[in-house]
Amino acid sequence: MPNSLSPAGALPLLILRVLNSEPLHGYAIAQRIHVLSSDVLAVEEGLLYPTLQKMLLKGWVEAKWGISETNRKVRFYRLTPKGKIQLEQELASYGRITHAIQEVLRTA
Amino acid sequence: MRELFRRISFLLHRGRLNTELQSDMEFHREMAARAGRNNFGNTLRMREQAYEAWGWTWLDRLYQDLRYGTRILVRAPGFTLVAVLVLAIGIGVNVSAFSLFDMIALKPLPVPDADRIVRLERRSPENYTSEMAYPSFVFYRDHARTLSAAIAVMGVPPMQLEDDVAATSASFVTVNYFSELGTRAAYGRMFDPSMDASPNTPPEVVLSYGLWQRRFGSDPNVIGRVIHISHKPATVVGVTPYAFASLGDQHPDLWMPIVQQPYFIERSTVLQDWTNSSVRMWGKLMPGVRAQVAEQELRSLTDELRKQHPEAVWDHEYIQSSPGGHLEVVQPELYRVVAMVAVLTLLILVVACANVGGLMLARAVTRQHEIGIRIAIGAGRGRIFRQLCTESLVLGALAAMAGLTLAAMVAKLVLAEIDAPKWLSAMPDWRVVLFTVAVTLFATLFFGLMPALQIARQRQQKTIARQILVGAQIAASSVLLIVAALLVRATEHAFYTDPGFGYQQLVTVDPQLGHHGYTPAAARAYLEQMQTRVRAIPGVAAVSLVKFPPLGHITANSSIEIRGRHLMVYPNSVAPDFFRAMAIPLRMGRTFYPGEKHAVILSESFARRQWPGENPLGQAVGDGTDKATVVGVAGDAHINGLSDDDAAEEYWAAQPDDMPDMAVVIRSAGDPGTIAQDVKAISASLDASVFPEIRTLKAVYLDNLKLIEQIAGIVTLVGLAALTLAAVGLVGLVAFVVTQRTREIAIRMALGARPAAVLSAVLRQFRWPLIIGLVAGTAFAGFGSKLLRVGLYGVSNLDPASYLVALGMLALIASLAMLIPAARTLRLNVASILHHE
Repeated sequence: MPNSLSPAGALPLLILRVLNSEPLHGYAIAQRIHVLSSDVLAVEEGLLYPTLQKMLLKGWVEAKWGISETNRKVRFYRLTPKGKIQLEQELASYGRITHAIQEVLRTA
Repeated sequence: MRELFRRISFLLHRGRLNTELQSDMEFHREMAARAGRNNFGNTLRMREQAYEAWGWTWLDRLYQDLRYGTRILVRAPGFTLVAVLVLAIGIGVNVSAFSLFDMIALKPLPVPDADRIVRLERRSPENYTSEMAYPSFVFYRDHARTLSAAIAVMGVPPMQLEDDVAATSASFVTVNYFSELGTRAAYGRMFDPSMDASPNTPPEVVLSYGLWQRRFGSDPNVIGRVIHISHKPATVVGVTPYAFASLGDQHPDLWMPIVQQPYFIERSTVLQDWTNSSVRMWGKLMPGVRAQVAEQELRSLTDELRKQHPEAVWDHEYIQSSPGGHLEVVQPELYRVVAMVAVLTLLILVVACANVGGLMLARAVTRQHEIGIRIAIGAGRGRIFRQLCTESLVLGALAAMAGLTLAAMVAKLVLAEIDAPKWLSAMPDWRVVLFTVAVTLFATLFFGLMPALQIARQRQQKTIARQILVGAQIAASSVLLIVAALLVRATEHAFYTDPGFGYQQLVTVDPQLGHHGYTPAAARAYLEQMQTRVRAIPGVAAVSLVKFPPLGHITANSSIEIRGRHLMVYPNSVAPDFFRAMAIPLRMGRTFYPGEKHAVILSESFARRQWPGENPLGQAVGDGTDKATVVGVAGDAHINGLSDDDAAEEYWAAQPDDMPDMAVVIRSAGDPGTIAQDVKAISASLDASVFPEIRTLKAVYLDNLKLIEQIAGIVTLVGLAALTLAAVGLVGLVAFVVTQRTREIAIRMALGARPAAVLSAVLRQFRWPLIIGLVAGTAFAGFGSKLLRVGLYGVSNLDPASYLVALGMLALIASLAMLIPAARTLRLNVASILHHE
C-alpha cells in the first residue's frame, strides 16, 4: 500500500517542469516525478492521462511518435513554446502562493 | 481560438487518437508491470475521463440518444406513423399559411434594389387616399433629394384594342417604370427614359406576355407594328417577359407612357389637374437613406406645395411610405387579418400537439418497465428526461419534413389555382424553412415536455395531464368549427339573400367624362342624352345616375363611431330617381329634388343607430357649411361595402358640378342580356372618343363572392381536420383507458353493475374536460369573432345557428368517440378476463 501522496492540483505544473528538460513518454513522466520527489509523489494513470489530454487541448504540450528504451513505438510528449510560457507563469504563481501560505502558517 | 480548432480536430480524428491513447496506456501498463507495480485500473473508465477533457461528451450522449430514440420509434411503427402524421398536419397548416404570407408580404420582388422601393400615399388625420394628382407627383419628383427615382402609375378602365368586343386592361406609367425595375423585354424593348420622355415621341405601347400570346399569336413580328387603342394608332415597341414582376401586383395587358395619356384619352386634362387624384406614386430611396428620412423631406415638400397650390393639399397632409418591394403593399389593416389567420392555424397546431402528447402519455405507461430498469442501473432523472426529449425531437424533425413537403404541395396548388405572377415559386425559401424550424421546436416543446416530465418523475397519476390535453383539443376544435360555421353561414347568406339592391339586373356605365375634358354642362348634356336613349332600349326598366357605381373600382368611405359602435360610412351622390332605379326602398320621407342642396338621405341602420327611437326626418347632420337635413331614409344597400355589416350609406343629391364624375346605372326588366352591347353602340354614337366602362353586375357580384366561398371552404377543411384529429385522439385515449382498467370493469360487471354505471365509471374523467373545453372554446370564439364582422356579409358574429351547429357536431362526435370504445367493454368476456391474473 503506497503511502505516497497524489500531487493532484499541481500536476500540470510538475509535468511542465519535467518536460522542460526533454520529451518523455507517459510512463517516464510518472516515473520521473516519483523519483525526483524521492518516492513521495505517486501519479496514478487515471490522473496522468486526463491531465495530459487537457494540456494537449490547451496547446501546452504536443505528442509525437518515438521509440522507447524498450524498442517499442510510443508517443513522446514535448513542451511547446506556449507551454514554456505557461510553465513560467505557473512557477511564479506557485512561488507566490507557497510563500503566502508559509507566511500564514508561521504567524497564525 | 486555436483551442477550438484543436477541439474540432480531435472530433474529426477520434478514431486515430483513441488508438494512440490506448497504446500509451498499454505501454504504461507494461512498464509498470515490469517494475512490479500492478496499478490496475479500469482502462475504459480512464479513457472516458481522458475524453471528457476535450469537452465533446455532450455530443456523444446526443448521438447515443438519437440512435436509441430512433430505434424505439422504429419498433413502434403504428405510434410513430400516427404521431408523425398528426404533427405533420398541424405543422403543415401553419407553414402553408406562413408561406402564403411570405409570398405576399415578405418575399422581395426579383428586381434590383427591391428593398429601396417604397409606395407613397397621401394621408392626413381625417383622410386617406391611395392616389395623388399628376402635377403633385411631378413636384415631388423634381424636388425630392432622398429619392433616386419616382414612378407614377395611372390605372384606367379597360380600353378598346382594335375592334375587339371585350375591352383590354391597360395602364399608363412613367417611362422609367421598366428601367427602374430592371425588366428585360422578351421581345423588342421596354420604355427607355432617354428616348421616350418627351411628349413629342411617337405614341408607343408595350404588350404583356399573356396578351402577346393570346391576341397576337406569339408572333415576334408584332414589334414595330401599329395597333389601335381607343382607335388611336400606336407602335408596339416590346413585350414584357414571361415572369414579369410588376409593382403592386398589377398585370395590365397594355402599357403606355403616362405623358401620352392625353393622346389616347382625348381631351383629358388629368395631367395638368391639381385636384384630380389619378396616379399611384412609387419611389426608390437613395442608397443608404432610410424611409423615415425620406418621409421627413416629403413632409416639408408637402408644406411647400400647400403654399403654392393649396387646392392640391389637405390640411395636415403628409406623405406616408410603405415598403413597396414585395408582391403587395402591406397596409396596416393587413396585419389584423394576418393575426386572425395566425390564431386559427395555431389552434390546429394545439390540437395536433395535444393529441400527440396524449399518445405519448399513453405509451409512457407501457414503457414503465424499461425506464425502471434504466433508473435502477444508475441513469439520473436528468438523463432520462433528456433522452425522452430527444425522442420527441426526432418525431418533431420527421414531422417537420413531412409538414414542409405538405405545405410546398399546397402552395403549388394555390399558385396554379389563382393564376399568380409567374416569378413566384412554391419552393420554400429560407424564411419558410426558418419558420418551420421555429414552429417545430415550439410544438415539440408543447407535446414533448409535459409527458417527458411526467415520465421522468414516474408519477402514477397521469389523469390530470390527460384531462388537460383532452380539454385543450376540445377547446381548439370548437373555436375552429365555430369560425368555420360562421363563414359557411356568411357564404350562404351572401348567395341567397338580397343585399338590398337588385344586383342581378343591373348594368353600370362609367364614361369618366371628367377625364375626357368634359365641362359640367357638356357632361350633363351627354348624360341626359344617354339616359333618354337607353330608356328606349327594350328590356330596360329604369335608368339613373350615381357617382360611385355599385361594386365599383373606387369608393370613398370614412370610419365613424356612434355610441361606441363602429360604422363605416359610404357617401355617394345620386340623381333623384336613383332609388327607384336600383330598387332600393325608401322607408321614410322622400327622394331628392333635382340638385337639392343641404339635403341628405341616410340608410336605415345608420339612422337607427344615430337617433335610436326618434324620428330621423328633419334631423341635422354635419355642421357649418356642410350642414344638411335628413329628408329620407332608404333601406340598407351596401352597394360599395358589400360584405361589411357595419356599412352605412349616405346619399347626397347630385349637383351640376358632379356631372363629369357621374356614372349611369341601368336596371333591366329581366335578364340584362344584350343591354351592354346596345349601350356601347349608343355611347359610340354620342361621342366616339369616349369609351365608357360597361359592367354587368351579376358577374362582378359572383366574382366578389368567390373569395368568401374559398375562404369558407378552407376554414371548414381545417376545422374538420381538427375535429377528426381530436376525435381520433379521443377514441385512442378511451380505448387505452379501457384496456388499462379491464380487470376493474370485469369485476364490476361480475358484481352485477349495470352497463350505464360501468360506462360512467370509466368515462367520468372525461366529463369535465369536455364541458370546460366547449365553454372555453365558445367564449374565445365569441370574443374573437368580432373581428370577422367586416367579412361576414351581415351574419352576426354571435349567430346562434352557427354556434349550435358547430358545438352540436363537436359534442356529438366527441361523445361517439368516447362511447364506442367504451361500449366495447360491455361485451367483454368477463370470465376469461378474471381468469387472467
